[in-house]
Amino acid sequence: MSQKHDVWGWMLAVDFFFAGMGGGMLVIVGLLDLFVGEGRTSLLGNVLGPVFIGIGSSLLILELGRPFQALRVFVNPKAILTAGAWFMSFAITFGLVYATFGLDMFFWSSWVFARKVLAALCFITGLVVATYPGILLGRHKGRPFWHGPGIMILFLLSSLVTGFAAHSLAGFVFPPSTLTDVLGMFPKFTAGLLAFQLLLWFGYIWVKKSGGTTSESIATQRWINGDLSSSFQYGFLLFGTLAPLVLSLSSSPSLQAVGAALVLLGGALMRMLVVRGGEDRTWFPGEQKYRSRLPKGNEAFLKAWNK
Amino acid sequence: MARYAMVMDTRRCVGCHSCTVACRVHNELPLDMIYNPVVTVGPTGVFPNVRMTNLPLICMHCDNSPCVDACPTGASQQRPDGIVFVEEKKCISCKACVMACPYGARVPNHEKGTIQKCNFCMDRVDEGKLPHCVKTCHQKARIFGDMDDPTSEVYKLVNNGYPVRLLGELNTEPYVFYIVDSEVKL
Amino acid sequence: MSKNIDLQQEGIQVKKSACYFCHQNCGVLAYVKDGKVLDIEGDPDFPTNQGGLCCRGNIAMDHLDHPARVNFPLKRVGERGAGQWQEISWDQALTEIAEKLANIRDEFGAEAVATAGGTQRTDDWARRRFMNLFGSPNGFHNSHLCWIPTFMVETAIYGWCPFDLDLGSSRCLVLWGQNPGVSGMPEIHHIMELKEKGLKLIVIDPRYSETAAKADMWLPIRPGSDLALALAWLHVIIYEGLFDPEFTDEWCVGFGELAEHVADFSPEWAAPLTWLTEEQIRESAIMYASNKPGNIQWGTSIDQIGKPAGAAMHARALLRAITGNLDVPGSDLLTGPSLEYVTDEEMEANDQLPEEQKAKQIGSDKFKMVTWPGYSRIAELTKEVWGKAPTAEWMCEAHPPSVFRAILTEKPYPVKALLVSATNPINSYGETKLTLAALKAVEFMVTCEYWLTPTAMLSDYVLPIAGALERPTITSSYGCADFLLASQRAIQPMYERRNDYNFWRDLGVKLGQKEMWPWETVEDAYFAKIEPLGYGVESYDEFVENHRFHFPEREYQKYKRIGFATPSRKVELYSSTLEALGYPPLPPYIGPAENETDDPEIAAEYPFVLTTGGGHMPYHHSEHFQIKTLRFLSHEPYMSMNPAAAAKLSIEEGDWVWIETKRGRIKQKANLTQAIDPRVIFTPRGWWYPERDMRDPELGGCLESNTNILTSCDDDDCDPMSGSWANRGLLCKVYKVTAENEKEAK
Repeated sequence: MSQKHDVWGWMLAVDFFFAGMGGGMLVIVGLLDLFVGEGRTSLLGNVLGPVFIGIGSSLLILELGRPFQALRVFVNPKAILTAGAWFMSFAITFGLVYATFGLDMFFWSSWVFARKVLAALCFITGLVVATYPGILLGRHKGRPFWHGPGIMILFLLSSLVTGFAAHSLAGFVFPPSTLTDVLGMFPKFTAGLLAFQLLLWFGYIWVKKSGGTTSESIATQRWINGDLSSSFQYGFLLFGTLAPLVLSLSSSPSLQAVGAALVLLGGALMRMLVVRGGEDRTWFPGEQKYRSRLPKGNEAFLKAWNK
Repeated sequence: MARYAMVMDTRRCVGCHSCTVACRVHNELPLDMIYNPVVTVGPTGVFPNVRMTNLPLICMHCDNSPCVDACPTGASQQRPDGIVFVEEKKCISCKACVMACPYGARVPNHEKGTIQKCNFCMDRVDEGKLPHCVKTCHQKARIFGDMDDPTSEVYKLVNNGYPVRLLGELNTEPYVFYIVDSEVKL
Repeated sequence: MSKNIDLQQEGIQVKKSACYFCHQNCGVLAYVKDGKVLDIEGDPDFPTNQGGLCCRGNIAMDHLDHPARVNFPLKRVGERGAGQWQEISWDQALTEIAEKLANIRDEFGAEAVATAGGTQRTDDWARRRFMNLFGSPNGFHNSHLCWIPTFMVETAIYGWCPFDLDLGSSRCLVLWGQNPGVSGMPEIHHIMELKEKGLKLIVIDPRYSETAAKADMWLPIRPGSDLALALAWLHVIIYEGLFDPEFTDEWCVGFGELAEHVADFSPEWAAPLTWLTEEQIRESAIMYASNKPGNIQWGTSIDQIGKPAGAAMHARALLRAITGNLDVPGSDLLTGPSLEYVTDEEMEANDQLPEEQKAKQIGSDKFKMVTWPGYSRIAELTKEVWGKAPTAEWMCEAHPPSVFRAILTEKPYPVKALLVSATNPINSYGETKLTLAALKAVEFMVTCEYWLTPTAMLSDYVLPIAGALERPTITSSYGCADFLLASQRAIQPMYERRNDYNFWRDLGVKLGQKEMWPWETVEDAYFAKIEPLGYGVESYDEFVENHRFHFPEREYQKYKRIGFATPSRKVELYSSTLEALGYPPLPPYIGPAENETDDPEIAAEYPFVLTTGGGHMPYHHSEHFQIKTLRFLSHEPYMSMNPAAAAKLSIEEGDWVWIETKRGRIKQKANLTQAIDPRVIFTPRGWWYPERDMRDPELGGCLESNTNILTSCDDDDCDPMSGSWANRGLLCKVYKVTAENEKEAK
C-alpha cells in the first residue's frame, strides 16, 4: 500500500533522471577532454548536459510544497540534499562555461589550460551529481528497498549509460566539430554498461529479496510479482536494457539511435520505479491495514464530505 | 537540563484511538493528518489461539534523528531537551524528512505546504503540562516525563524494565519506549 | 481549538461539566468566557475518568456548534421526508403539538400517544412524568436491550440488581458479553489497574475483543448460547462442591430444586451448544467460584439474545447467589435505592397514571417482567424492604415492536402519535423494516434531536435539544444505586436549543399540568433531588461547585438487617415472583433465537451464526457519524469474519459483502480476522451516512449498512419474560457484492 502524495512522487523521479543523465554527460565530457582531447562530443551534447541538470533541479523545485522558497535548500550543510543542491548548481555552471569553449565566437575558447581545469571540474561535479541520488536514497534507513550502498552503484551506472546514450543522440543530430571516432564507439560503451546494468539489477533484486531484513524482502516482492513487476521486468529490463543492448551492438546508426532512445526511456522508468519502491517504509505490524482504512484515496467519500 | 521521553505501555493500551483524536482536535490538524496513529498488531495466531496488541505510534524524538539530518533548510531542529520540531516558516516541504523518518512520523500539511510532526506539545510541556495525547489517555498507557530525572516515572520504567525501542537496530536512538508482553513480536 | 487560546486570560470561569456522548458521563472542565466555551479538558479530579477523555469526549467543541445541528424548532411544510422545514418559535411548536395531542386523546384515548426513547444518558423521568400526567402507559425505550430485563429478573431473584461492583478487593471478574475496552473507558482503566494487582479476568465473548485481549481466560462462546454456559457453570459449581454452603443454607430458598434442575446440564452437555470445550467450561466455572470474592459485571449482551435472554439472566443471577458473591466486600453489591436523595422514581408521578390505563400498556399481556404486571409486583416488594422502588422509566415500558405493530395494524388499538426523544429508532430499534414502516405510518410524529436523523426527517416537528456543555447532568443510575455524581452546564443552550426537560414540562403546562411541574428549570428539579442530602447548599450549581459527588458510607450484607426484597426475604433460587407471573421458577434451557437444531431449514440456507450490535470506537450507537474528525478515522462499516470462512466464499479483505438474514440484507466491508470463529459473523451497529441525501427514500443510506435490518422482533424470537428482541444468535449468510446482485430488489 502506498501513501499517495505524502511521499516523493514522479517529479522527483524525473529530476533524478535528468540530473543523473546530465551528470553522466559531464563526466564523459570531462574525461574525454582530459584524456583524449577536445571536441570529441557534440557541442549539443555539451550544452545539454548542464541543461538537463537544470531541468532536473527545476522539477525538484516544482515538487516542493513552497516552490518560491526553494533557495532555502542551500542552508543546512549537514543535509545531503543541501550538498546535492550546491553540486548541481556548480555542475550547471561549469558545464555551461565549458560548453562555451566549443564556440569560436568567445575569445576564451582557445585558453587550453582553463578548458582543462573546467573539464576536470565538470568531471568531478558531474560525477557527484550522477551518484548523489543513489547516495541520498541509499542512506534511507527506514526505506528497505533503497537502504544500503547498492542503489548508489545502480544510479551511477544508469547515469553513465544514459549519459553515453544522450551524447550519441546529440551526435546524430549535431555531429562533433573535430572527430567522430570516439563518439562512434559510444554505442559499444553503452552496450557494455547495459550488460552491467542487467547483471547488477538481477543481483540487487536477489540480494534484497534474500537479504538482511523481512521488510527488505517484502519491499522487493513488489518487483518480483507485485505491482511494479511488469513495468520493471518488461519495461525496464527487457525494453530499457536488453533491447537497447542488442540494438547498440548493431552497425546501423539508426538502430543505434533507436537503442539510445530506449536507454533514455529505460533510465527514466527505472527512476520512477525506484522512487515508487521507496514508498514502502518498514511497516509496523498492522500499520498498513490501519492506513488502508483511512479515507485517503476514497474520492467519492471525500467529495461528499468536502462539498 | 531535561531529556523528554515517552513510555507506551502496550499492556494497558486498548486501542481506543482517543490520543489520535485529542491530538488532531487540539493541534487543529487537517483531517488527512495524523501524528499518532494506534495500529493493531493481530490478532495473530489462529482462532481461538490468538493474541492482540495495540501499538501507539508517534514521533520517537530520536537522539540520532535522521529527519533533522535530512532537512536541507534547517527547518527541522532538535531542542536541547530532545524535542524534535519543525520551524514552519523555514520548511519548503521537500519531504526529505518524510522519506528519512523510519517511523512515518512526518506528515505533509497540504493546506499549508509544510511538513509537520508531533512536537510532544512543546508549548504545553514548557508550561509544565502534559502532551494532549497523554492527558486524554484513560488507560494511562502513555507516560511522559524527563529521562534526566531519576525520580520520574519514565526514568523508572525505562531503567527498571525491559522497554523496547522500535527499529532500534537503525541506531536512531528513539526516546519513545514500548513496554510489551514478552510473547509479542514487533 | 485549544492551540491558540490563552486559558490564563482574565475573566475565564472553569465550569464543572460532564461529557454527554455516551453513558459514562466523564467529568469535563469547561473554560468559559462571556457565555462562550473556549476549550474543554477531562477533569482530573473526577473519580471515574481522572482527566481522561475518549474519542467522543474530545469532540465536544465540534459538537457544540456543528453546522448540521438543529438550532431552531422546525415544522414540516412539505411532504413527510421531503426535508422542507419552516423555523418556528418554541411557543408555536408547543401550542400546536399540545393541540394535536389533545385531539388524539379526545378521539382515541391517551394511550394512542406513545413515546420512543433512547440514550438519554442520565435520567428520563421527566418524560415518564409527562406521560403519566397525560394518561398514557405507552412510553418505551430500547432499554430492553440494555440491562433493564437483567435488572428486573435479578430483582425478582434477590430483591435488587447489583449495579455496583466492589471491585477494589475482588479477586475475579467475569465480563459476560461486555467490552469496556470500547464502551467504558473509565471501567477498563480500573479493571486493568486491578489486574496488575492480581485480579483474574474472564471474558465471555464470541469475539476476541479489545477486552478479551486483556483477559486471563477468554471463552469464545457461540453467539446466543449464554444460557447453556450459565447452566453448566451452575452444574459444575454445585456438583464439584464449590458453592457457598453457609449462604445457600441460611439465605437461599430452592437450592435442592436447583441442584436437581441442573443435574443434566453438565459441561459435556453444554460443550456442543456453546462451542466451548468441556475443560474450558469447567475451568472457567472453577476460576469464578474459587477466587472469592468475585464479580460478574453487568453487561448488556444477554439482554440482546432474544428468546433465551430471561432464562440466561436468571441462571447468571443464580451463579452469584450460590457462590455467596452478593453484598459482601469485593462482590456484587445490592445497594438498594438511595434513601438519601430523591430518586428518579419519586420524580415520575407513577401514582398519577390510572390503573385502567396501566392495564392498556401495549405488550404487557405477553411480556410481563418490564411492564406494569411485573413492575408493580416487584416495586411493591422493594418498597416494603428497601423503602423505595426502582425507576419505572426504563424498568416498566411498553413493548416497542408491539407498539410499532399497533401503529401499523391498529391492534390492540390505534396508536396515532409518537414523541421521539434522544433516539433514531430506524437505526437503533430491531427489525428496521418494521420500525421504518411504523414511523412512516404514524399519523403524528415529533422528534427531539440534535441532528436531522433519518427519523427526524420523517417527523412533523423537530425540536432542538441542548447537548453536552449546555445541560446539567446527574449520574446516579436513576437512583437505583446509592451514589450520585453531579455536573453543571457550562453555558446556557445556544440558539433556540432547550433541555428536553423543558420540552416535557412546557408541553405539560400547555396541556394543563402546570401545578404538577413546580420546577421551572432542570436545575430547580435537580436541586429538589439533591436537597435532602443535607449539604446545606442553596442551589444545584453550588452543590456541583463545592461537593459534586455523594458517596455514602458503604454498608455490606444489608440482608442481615432487612432481608432480601423477595416474598420470602431470601434469595429465591426457585423464584416465586417468576412463578406468580407465569414464568418458570427455575431457568429452563432454551436454544438461541435461531439455531441449527430448532430451525434446520433456516440453517440450511443461512449457515453462519450472527452476532450484532457490539460497540465500536469512535461511535456510540448510531451517534457521531456526522462528526468529521471521528468519521475520518472510521469511514466505512467493517463486518468481521474468519479468513477460513472468507476463503471458501472467495471473499477478500476489504471486499463489500452482503450479510443476509430472513429479514433482509445489508452491505458492509469484510474485515478478515482470526478474532472470530469461522462459523460466526459479526456486524457493528449504528451505521448510516449523514453525508448522503437525507430525504425519503434515501434517508441518509439508513438501510444500506444498518445492522438492525438483520435483527428479529418476531414475538417468537423475543424473550418471553421481558420481550427483549434478538440481536445475537441469529442465522445469516454472507456473499460478495457484485454489480448484478446489487441491482436485485432488496
